Amino acid sequence: MSHDHGNVVPSYMKVFYALLTLTVLTVVAAKMLHFPPHWGTPGDVLHVAIGILIAVVKVIAVMYIFMHLKFDTPFLRFFVYVPVFLFFVMSFGLNFLEDWSYIK
Amino acid sequence: MSTALNLSHEPLTKIPHGKMAMWAFLASELMFFSGFFGAFIVLRNSNYDIFGQGSNHLNWMLALVNTFILIGSSLTMALSIYHLEKKNTGMFRLFMGLTILGAFGFLIVKYFEYSAKFADGLFPGQEHHTVFYSFYFLMTGFHALHVIGGMIPMFYIFMKSYSKNGYPYPHKVETLGLYWHFVDLMWIFIFPALYLMIPYHGAAAH
Repeated sequence: MSHDHGNVVPSYMKVFYALLTLTVLTVVAAKMLHFPPHWGTPGDVLHVAIGILIAVVKVIAVMYIFMHLKFDTPFLRFFVYVPVFLFFVMSFGLNFLEDWSYIK
Repeated sequence: MSTALNLSHEPLTKIPHGKMAMWAFLASELMFFSGFFGAFIVLRNSNYDIFGQGSNHLNWMLALVNTFILIGSSLTMALSIYHLEKKNTGMFRLFMGLTILGAFGFLIVKYFEYSAKFADGLFPGQEHHTVFYSFYFLMTGFHALHVIGGMIPMFYIFMKSYSKNGYPYPHKVETLGLYWHFVDLMWIFIFPALYLMIPYHGAAAH
């Protein structure tokens, strides 16, 4: 079924510019944001956390506006939230099960 | 007189079957990629120098260009659906054509990126290959296959739009759009994971 969501073009453009900006921000954070070397692993973790945080914001924008999740039924949203939650558990959850004892 | 039931929508959820099926497919795709990401993160943390050196060798500028291309094609796909719903066939063709061009451009950039890696002997089985490059080719290769998989129906719909009746099924294009945005979403994670988020401190990897 085709849904009439009104004039969504301004929303699309806002998301587009936001995605471009956040992409540049990701690169800037990765290439120019340097934590003190003595921070060690926590500094690297912070580096990764910033990248993941920006990626999550981009994903939410795409899913809600471009993929029309904002206009969909609560049932479909729930149907989508479950695999997205599992994606994060499977992707990042394994890290929390490790003790990283082999990392100097 | 036909008495066939109208089953275009699931009566309880009010969601079109095609759309529901696509979301279910994308959920399975998400699980598919999460296996890659999970294994990648664990191996990255246990082979930090090898992954750091590998990531440092990648051409992140080309990947950045591809990111911009995919974001642009996501926008043009959304605009093509909008214009098809408004029965604006000319604009639909324009934006669908731009989406296909974006997908094609992505693959061309990927070709140049892969060629450089082959030349440097980084493909599995070659001299300088490491476990990092296994993930690099696995994740970006499967992603590129998804791009090709999206191009085929997009090209079919684009060609059908030139037929006498045009392409009068915006809900089908919307379903295809979900797939295309998913391809963009996966790249949003692959780009920083492989190209950016592995700081390399210059330790020996081999």
